Amino acid sequence: MAEILASQVLSGLATGCVYALIALGFVLIFKATDVVNFAQGEFVMVSGFISYTLLIWYGLPYWIVFFVTIALSGFMGVVLERVVVRPIMDAPIFSIVIATIGASTVLRSLAGIFYGYDVLPLPTIFSKDPIRLGILNFTAMDLGVIGFSLVIMLALYLFFKLTKTGTAMRATAQSQTAARLMGVSVTYIFSLTWAISAAIGGVAGVLIAPIIYLDPNLGFIGVKAFAGAILGGFGSIPGAIVGGMLLGVLENLSGYFFNAGIKQVSTYILLIAVLVVRPSGLFGAVPIRKV
Amino acid sequence: MLIGAGLDLTGAVANWGVNIKAGMESVFNRVNEAGGVHGRKIKLIAYDHVYQPPKAVTNAKRLVERDKVFVMMGHLGTPTTKAIKEYLEEKQVPDIFPSTAASMWVTSGKWHVGDLATYADQTWMIIDYLVRDRKIKKIASFYQDDEYGLDGHLAGKARLKQLDLAYAIEVDYKRADIDFSSQAAKLKESGAEAVILQAVYREPPRLAEQCHAIGYYPLFIGPSPIVVDKTIELGGKHVDGMMGVEVYPLPTEPGAFLDLYRADMKKYFPNLALDTTNLYGYQKAALFVEALQRTGRNLTREAVLKAIESIKDWDPGWGLKYSYGGDNRRVMSRVGRLVVVKDGKWTKKSEWIELQEGGRK
Repeated sequence: MAEILASQVLSGLATGCVYALIALGFVLIFKATDVVNFAQGEFVMVSGFISYTLLIWYGLPYWIVFFVTIALSGFMGVVLERVVVRPIMDAPIFSIVIATIGASTVLRSLAGIFYGYDVLPLPTIFSKDPIRLGILNFTAMDLGVIGFSLVIMLALYLFFKLTKTGTAMRATAQSQTAARLMGVSVTYIFSLTWAISAAIGGVAGVLIAPIIYLDPNLGFIGVKAFAGAILGGFGSIPGAIVGGMLLGVLENLSGYFFNAGIKQVSTYILLIAVLVVRPSGLFGAVPIRKV
Repeated sequence: MLIGAGLDLTGAVANWGVNIKAGMESVFNRVNEAGGVHGRKIKLIAYDHVYQPPKAVTNAKRLVERDKVFVMMGHLGTPTTKAIKEYLEEKQVPDIFPSTAASMWVTSGKWHVGDLATYADQTWMIIDYLVRDRKIKKIASFYQDDEYGLDGHLAGKARLKQLDLAYAIEVDYKRADIDFSSQAAKLKESGAEAVILQAVYREPPRLAEQCHAIGYYPLFIGPSPIVVDKTIELGGKHVDGMMGVEVYPLPTEPGAFLDLYRADMKKYFPNLALDTTNLYGYQKAALFVEALQRTGRNLTREAVLKAIESIKDWDPGWGLKYSYGGDNRRVMSRVGRLVVVKDGKWTKKSEWIELQEGGRK
C-alpha cells in the first residue's frame, strides 16, 4: 500500500511539474500585461512538433533540438504578442482573451494541416525503464521531468531576484506607469515576458510530449494547468508551481482511490472547494477594497 | 449516389477515421473509374465528429437533411454511432456496416447491419483462450467507460461467470484520457496475470509503459481496435507480446482481394501506409458495392438492405466468407483469430474460428 501510494505521488508530481510550468507561463504574462493568454497550451503543442521535426525529419542530436526548440518557442511568443495582442492592447480585456483563444485554434489547425491529426511518438533521452529505490518505483523519465522543471523554476527565481531586467519586469508588473517613469521600456518588457512564458511552455512540451504522445490536441493540457494556476492563486508565481503540482498528485490519488470519472472531475472539485474557502486561491493576495 | 459517414478525422481516434475514409474511397474510386455500379457513381461525404457524440448528431442531421445521403456507412465509434441511432431510424436511413463492432448493431432491427464479429464475441474468445489454453484464472478488465468498452467488458464478465470465475479487478478510463498510472497501480495490486484491454490504440501502449514502470508485467490482450500498427509505433518494446483478436486478415497476407486492396491503396492514397485501419474501411466498401450490384437498377433503401441480407458465402478473394447472420444477428462475418506483437509486428497466432455467442443478454 505504502509502496503503491509513494509511486502514485511520484508520478503525479512529474505530471504536476509540467502543469506547473504551463501555469507559470499563464501567471507571468498575466502579472506583467494583465492578459490571460489562452494560447499558452499551444506553446506546449507547437514545441512538441518543432522538436519532432528537428529530431525525426532532420535527425539533429537531442540536446541541440532541446535548446533550439525552446528558443523557437520563445520567438513564437514574441511574434504572438506583436501580431495578435499588442495591436489590440487598448481593446477591452475580454476581446484580448478571445483573440488568444482564436490564436490557439489557428495554431492547432495549422499543426493538423501540416502534420495530420494522428498521434506521434516523440523520442526522448530519458528511459522509461523501471528503477527501484527502496519502496519507490519510478522511471528516469519521471526524474528527468521533475529535475528539469525544478531547474527552470530556480533559474526563473534567480532571474527575477538578481538581474536588472528581472527587477524591471517585477517593477512593470507592479505599476507600468511608474516603471515607464523610471526609464523601463515597457514594450520591451512585454515582449520579454511573452518570450519567457512561451519558452517555459516549450520546455513543458519537450518534456511531456514523449510521455503522453504528440498530436495537435496536446495543447488542451493548458486547461488543466490553468486550473492549477487558479488553485494556487492566479497571479502568484509560487501559487502556480504549488497549484500545478498539487493537481498532478491529486489526479493520481483520486484515480487510485476512486474511478476514472472521479479522477476527471477531482481537479474541479478541489478548485471549487479551495475558492469557496479562499477566493483568491492558496497563495493569491487578498484584494484590499478601500471604502 | 451519395454515401454519408461521420468519422473522427481530428480527435482521439483520428488514425482510425482518416484510414477508414481512405479505404472506403479507394474502392469507390476504382468502381467509379470503371463506370460505377449499374451506371451510378458513388460519392462519399464524410464529416468530422472528433469522437464526440453531440457533434456526431449535428453531422448526421447535416448529412441526411442537407446533403440527402442515400445511406450512412462506416460511421465511426460506438458512443458516436449510438448517439445517432434513433435519428437514423426515425428518418429511415440505413446504418450500414458502422465502424464499431458493438453487439448493439446486430440486434437493433432492420435499419442497422454490422459487418464483422462483435467486441462481445471477441471478448468471449479472449476469455476462453486465457482460461482454457493458458490456464489463467486471474484476469483483469481495463475498459473505456462508454458503450464501446462496456460491450466487451460485460460480455467478458458474463463468460467468466459461466466458468465460475470473476474479474480480478475492473478498472475504467474515460475517452481521451492520457494518464493511466492509477489504473496501473490498481491492476498491479490485484495480481492479475492477464489484462483485457477494451481500449483503442492510444491507451494500450501508455498503460503497458506505466505498468512496466512499477514493475508489473501481465499479459495484455484486447479486441480488434487495438490491432493497428499505431499501437506498436507508440509503445515500442513495451507492447512486445501484446495480443489481440483479429476479425479480418492482415494487410500483408496473400490473396486476390488483398492484392487488389494493395494496388488500390497505392494508386489512390500512395502516402498512407497499408494498415489494418484502411483495410477495415476497404472491406466494408467492397461488401457494400457487392450489395449494390445485387440490388440492381431499382435503387431504394429497402432494396439495398434486402440485397445485403441475401449475401451468403460470398468470398471477395481472401479466403473468408461473408454471410448474413439472420434477422436476430444482423452481421456479415463472425470469424476471429488471435494475433500477437512479435519483433515489432502483429503476427498470426491461431487459425480462424467461428466465434461463439457473446453479446449482452
